[in-house]
Amino acid sequence: MKTRFRLILMLLMISSIGFAQEIQVSGTVTGNEDNMPLPGVSVIISGTARGTSTDFDGNYTLKANQGDVLEFSFVGFKSASVTVGSSSTIDVVLETDVAALDEVVVVGYGTQKKADLTGSIATVKAEEIEKTPAANVMQSMQGKVAGVQIVSAGTPGDSPTVRIRGLGTFGSGTNVLYVVDGMFYDNIDFLNSKDIESINVLKDASSSAIYGVRAANGVVLITTKTGRKNSKPVFEYDGYSGVQFAQNVVQMANAEQFVTMAYESGSEADVQFVLNAMERFGRSRVNPNLPNVNTDWYDEIMREGLISNHSISASGGGENVAYSVGANYLSQEGILDMKNEYERFNIRTKVDVDLSDRFKIGSNLVFSNATKYLPENSAWFKAYFAVPILPVYDFQNTDATPTPYANARAIGYRGSQNPFPDLRYNNNRQKIRKVQTNFYVQTEIIPEKLTFKTVYNANLAAIEQRNVSLPFNIGYGDQRISSISRSDNTYFNQIWDNTLTYEDNFGDHNITLLGGASFRDEAYNSLSGSGGDIRGIQLESSWYLDFSDPDPETRTVSENGRRYYGMSYFARAAYNYKGKYLLYGTIRADGSSKFTQDPWGYFPSVGAGWVISEEGFMQDNGIFDFLKLRAAWGKLGNDNVAPSSGANTTSEVIIAAGNEPLSGVTATSTFTNNTWEVVEEKNFGLNMITLNNRLSIDADYYIRDTHDAIMPVYIPIANVTLQRNSGQIRNQGVEIVLNWNESVNENFSYSIGANFTTLKNETISIEDSRGYIDSGSAEFRQRTMEGEPILAFFGYERIGVYQNQAQIDADPTAQAAIDAGQNIQPGDLIYRDQNGDGQITDEDRVVLGSFLPKFTYGGNIGVNYKNWGFSASFYGQSGNKILNRKRGEIIFTNDTNMDADLAKNRWHGEGTSNEYPSSAGLRKSWNQKLSDFWIEDGDFFRIQNIQLSYTIKGTKLLNGKFPETRLTLTADRPFTFFKYNGFDPEVPNGVDRQTYPIPAVYTVGINVKI
Amino acid sequence: MKRIEKLINKTIWAILLSLGMVSCSDKINEQEGQLNADDLDYTNTEDMIDPLVGAYQIFGTRGWEEPLLLSVRGDDVNSGGLGDQQPFWDTDQFIYNKDYWMYNSLFALHYSDIVKLNTAMELVNLYRSYADPSYYDEADQYLAEIKVMRAWLHFNLARNWGDVFIINTTEPDTEYINGTVSKDAMMEYVVAQMNEAIPHLLEARPNERTDIYGGITKYAAMALQAMAYQELENYQEVANVTGEIINSNKFMLYPDFYNLFKTDGEVSDENLWEIQFSDFGNATGDTFYHLYAPFGPTSYTPARANAEGGWGFYEPSMKYIKFMLDRGETVRLQTSVLFTPDGIAEIQSDPNYANLPSFVSNSTPDGDVINNSVRADFFSGKHYMPSNQIVVGRNNYGAGKNYIIVRYAEILLMYAEALTHGASGNSLTADQAVNLVRARAGLGSVSGVTTQMVMDEKLAELAMEWGVRYFDMIRLNWYDELSYDGRNFTADKELLPYPQAQVDALPLNN
Repeated sequence: MKTRFRLILMLLMISSIGFAQEIQVSGTVTGNEDNMPLPGVSVIISGTARGTSTDFDGNYTLKANQGDVLEFSFVGFKSASVTVGSSSTIDVVLETDVAALDEVVVVGYGTQKKADLTGSIATVKAEEIEKTPAANVMQSMQGKVAGVQIVSAGTPGDSPTVRIRGLGTFGSGTNVLYVVDGMFYDNIDFLNSKDIESINVLKDASSSAIYGVRAANGVVLITTKTGRKNSKPVFEYDGYSGVQFAQNVVQMANAEQFVTMAYESGSEADVQFVLNAMERFGRSRVNPNLPNVNTDWYDEIMREGLISNHSISASGGGENVAYSVGANYLSQEGILDMKNEYERFNIRTKVDVDLSDRFKIGSNLVFSNATKYLPENSAWFKAYFAVPILPVYDFQNTDATPTPYANARAIGYRGSQNPFPDLRYNNNRQKIRKVQTNFYVQTEIIPEKLTFKTVYNANLAAIEQRNVSLPFNIGYGDQRISSISRSDNTYFNQIWDNTLTYEDNFGDHNITLLGGASFRDEAYNSLSGSGGDIRGIQLESSWYLDFSDPDPETRTVSENGRRYYGMSYFARAAYNYKGKYLLYGTIRADGSSKFTQDPWGYFPSVGAGWVISEEGFMQDNGIFDFLKLRAAWGKLGNDNVAPSSGANTTSEVIIAAGNEPLSGVTATSTFTNNTWEVVEEKNFGLNMITLNNRLSIDADYYIRDTHDAIMPVYIPIANVTLQRNSGQIRNQGVEIVLNWNESVNENFSYSIGANFTTLKNETISIEDSRGYIDSGSAEFRQRTMEGEPILAFFGYERIGVYQNQAQIDADPTAQAAIDAGQNIQPGDLIYRDQNGDGQITDEDRVVLGSFLPKFTYGGNIGVNYKNWGFSASFYGQSGNKILNRKRGEIIFTNDTNMDADLAKNRWHGEGTSNEYPSSAGLRKSWNQKLSDFWIEDGDFFRIQNIQLSYTIKGTKLLNGKFPETRLTLTADRPFTFFKYNGFDPEVPNGVDRQTYPIPAVYTVGINVKI
Repeated sequence: MKRIEKLINKTIWAILLSLGMVSCSDKINEQEGQLNADDLDYTNTEDMIDPLVGAYQIFGTRGWEEPLLLSVRGDDVNSGGLGDQQPFWDTDQFIYNKDYWMYNSLFALHYSDIVKLNTAMELVNLYRSYADPSYYDEADQYLAEIKVMRAWLHFNLARNWGDVFIINTTEPDTEYINGTVSKDAMMEYVVAQMNEAIPHLLEARPNERTDIYGGITKYAAMALQAMAYQELENYQEVANVTGEIINSNKFMLYPDFYNLFKTDGEVSDENLWEIQFSDFGNATGDTFYHLYAPFGPTSYTPARANAEGGWGFYEPSMKYIKFMLDRGETVRLQTSVLFTPDGIAEIQSDPNYANLPSFVSNSTPDGDVINNSVRADFFSGKHYMPSNQIVVGRNNYGAGKNYIIVRYAEILLMYAEALTHGASGNSLTADQAVNLVRARAGLGSVSGVTTQMVMDEKLAELAMEWGVRYFDMIRLNWYDELSYDGRNFTADKELLPYPQAQVDALPLNN
């Protein structure tokens, strides 16, 4: 190898002696917008392989002959060609390529030119992601990509829910596939936003089919930052700090409103509780008919949370090596007032080495060490229910230790209600350690044509969970001894990919072929144990199972594990003629041990495109700078589903026989035996750039069908719900993205972007003995039926409230109910008799809406003036419904508190409300049926992010050595507008019971590059 | 030339590397982390008892709502006051709701357990098929025990819904397409099943068993058979079977009625069949419990600190309490009912009951003090475990309390009732049988017992137990008894409507 290298050098030297006209050319390459030097620009002598690239200051030097043409190219800029004349200095200004059509897009196992794409791929750049101060990368994508719905998670460290083009599968397997530098993930909570180079969302089946397996919910390709060869090291610090506040806090009924409701309920017991409260806590001096307590529980359980993030990184490269290394620390407090926080420390290195011009080798490593203290989400729910006439502390509650928390049982209620014991006496910690590594070797078998690459990826995640229940007593039987439960969960996933890529052109015919094989191994193991009555529980240092009661029967231990294997073969062909006519096809064969019926699935895709603007008749048309029509079809498999067992399985059980445990075995009588869930998608798209490269329009229409959808089918008599291939689900919609960019002059530029998405989710067919699939609980039913969205809310349609007795007497459905023993009074809800049989029965239930939004939209505005930058983005959705289950659970315990909206707007006399029942009505089964009274619109509009920045650059300070510095002020999700009676309309599955509210975040940031 | 050779070498190397992965592809036919039923070692005959123990576990894991719904319609017990579970209250008023989850749960859980028991029988049969013939008797006994459990579930289904399915295999879809059988046909089925089971079962009291202490024996099967005959109003067979149980001299009434339902009475000589629950005396660790909270008082001051109360979903009726007071009952009233101060005041508000015996108190004999409750004035004493009998460290209401299914007193009274319907007895006289029960309750003898007298005795003795009262009343068409406290019972109210979720899935019509 070395010998050959020397030989080439010698040849080069000889050739330089041979041609005397050769001169040394040097110069600086700068960008047209900011006149800043561009490092890493490729400078090549046209028609040769000779060239160089610019250094950190944009300078280059090379030897060339007069008459040679130098080609300057750089990602994001239009290429420029300059003929070498007599001058030895050639400075070049590169124009920003607004359309960035030469931009290369990462597709599965390779790259493609954006202009050549036939499928639907959206790209989000690093600077867009960095604007959002969030622990999770995907949070930053919210509202930025058409067709991608992101539902925020409020809990620090939790990942948002991401859906690409609707929801086509049941159960938990709805995660999109994340491919980070080639490795597959369900969850990318270990990634720091700052380490990301680009994110590509493969939306349609044709684009993602190369990933076949698991691609059915869409693919998000993430490339982490790489160093650039021949560039000076760049050291960068980036950090921000800020505060998070709860937004749109639900207004609860205060003591006065609550007491009014209690008196109006007609329940003696409820009145008695109020009297008990007055007896115990005294009477209010303002209104002596109220207890001297008015607790706002949400106010009590929340706090402000701090967030901060600090990253340092260095990247650069020499002649043969490129590197990028960094470290990052993030800490985020939750807004729930307990030990609730997230802390993450990351280290990252990425190195690529050219062993020779044929052999490349590289490795990538991310180590992430996070600690997460999980919230007790039950507190959100309890704070809703806890009565305002109960204080936080009750010093008369002398049994309570160690803190005299008030217990609602003291004034007669059934439960203790007070959320504080949950908050103070629980400590739920997760230590999350993840290591992601990959290693590749790449060799060119035929130079620049045939490449072989083998990549091994390994991903180790260890999650140590420790839940400590501290002992407490709040009197009235609400007492607990200490206990600890521990679990060690280890995930180890490996992927080994081998690919052969062949690229060539024959005249105007350009062709790329790829073939490969991939082996996957996903293993999971969980070992857990628990013990009680911990000695020394007051000290965190003794929170180990060793200190629990040593009686072996009081300690439990359990283990479960799974391991899945997958094997895939795939191929891709991309062809274009003069960049005008595009053809694209992939095929992938996947085997997965999750499917016992037939582990193999075959997933083809094809695509075609026509770049009309390249046609002769379109040249210099003055309207379209670029115009492409494209169509694609593809199939892909989803193995992100519950695995089939393929056989009856057994469980160990115990019974009691004379107070002695006896162990035995039970077996299942039904089992799953599934084949692949297959997504088939058609996508039609248009890309257009017009008005002098200022306006770009991308539009897509898609129909996405899930065949053999694995659904929870009910098996009657055996009374089990089996995950079985049993239906077809369709998602279809239109996505439109508009972008306007303009540089008015050197100092001033602006951009405006908007995206719109429609979604129609529909169940096409179901194979179930009942013809429908029920989800949710009996009281809060969600039903999937043919012709309706999946998991739709299902209940009665409320058409008003009975205002007076005459109205009841005149209504046959009310009379039928009275005849059946119901007690219908003014203030009760009126339901629509859908089937017109004169009575309200189960058959009158209809679909009341879906939690999937029908329309989502996002937008952004960016303005740059000299060193100032301002950006704002917004996001909204409409057409989705939320089941307000916090409110709805009044059907289980109806003597507790409720939100102020319900208390204020209740029916309390003729004409007072035609929407809400009376206080007494809330306690009747008639009004407690699931109806659209409990289901609310989830429409919202939000100012997603506002950022103001100032960049200090090229200043004379410190003799011009003052580093490039950028200061930012960011308000993330500062304002949300909605009508829903809850904290936040972002509820992942549409059922709001104890959703962690999404805080607004205000931060100050600084970025320094040296 | 050399170049091409090199190229070929490299290509072959690359292809080999790819092919090397093919060997990995065998792995995709493996399911790790699960133990398939087919993979149990059926040649190990010692393990044959494991699926039987599994069957007891299946049978013992009854939902909390099951006993409640089975019995709430009787005039001995009410649903507790208004509040949550409104349709449960409606059911107590004979206002039925086919959409109510409890109906579906009772129906579905009974059938799913039938299928699970069938699976357990399949497993026992697999062990049997590999076993030495000397183990066949043992295998047949296990199968017979499971048959008894399965028949009891079928029996309950037919009692509540009338026409229902018989499921004898693990493939219910092949059976339910044949449609339902009538209630009578189901009772015939139960009789036939018990005839199959009885010869293989142990002739022992449950507490005489050593392999599974307290498990099912011949007498549980006979009791169930007698109950099926009783539903068929074949009183001669009722008398024959119950007479045989009496003549076995295996059983006797537990002398202390109060403690029969507490720790001391567990697996006593009176109990023919009971489900055992326990925490094995440990404060932490594994438990096998029934959820008794629905029966418990919503508020009480336990003698042992920190014992938890319940939900108040099961309230002895005022009718029952006054009936007992009228009879001059003592221990049976004190055992069956937990009184709240409000409840006592409520009884006394009727001038005829202004003076109550001293045992009518909101303090139980074990010193637990029952407080007033929003939901109910009274709670069931038979489902109450004194707080001082609960293992320290366990606080659940009724933690580890057993659940009696059939006891000897019921056998005696079934026998007596059959004789009053004209059956000839092979054992005691009806008077003797009734007086045995009365004597234990501290009551004097009676003679010339009539059906009315037996039914009164049954109400006094068996109130709150498994809906015995309700099913007696609808069997005898004594609808007036059920039309109490403003209720109006008619023949069309006897059965529950099929749950809508089942109608949607099965060949059923309401």
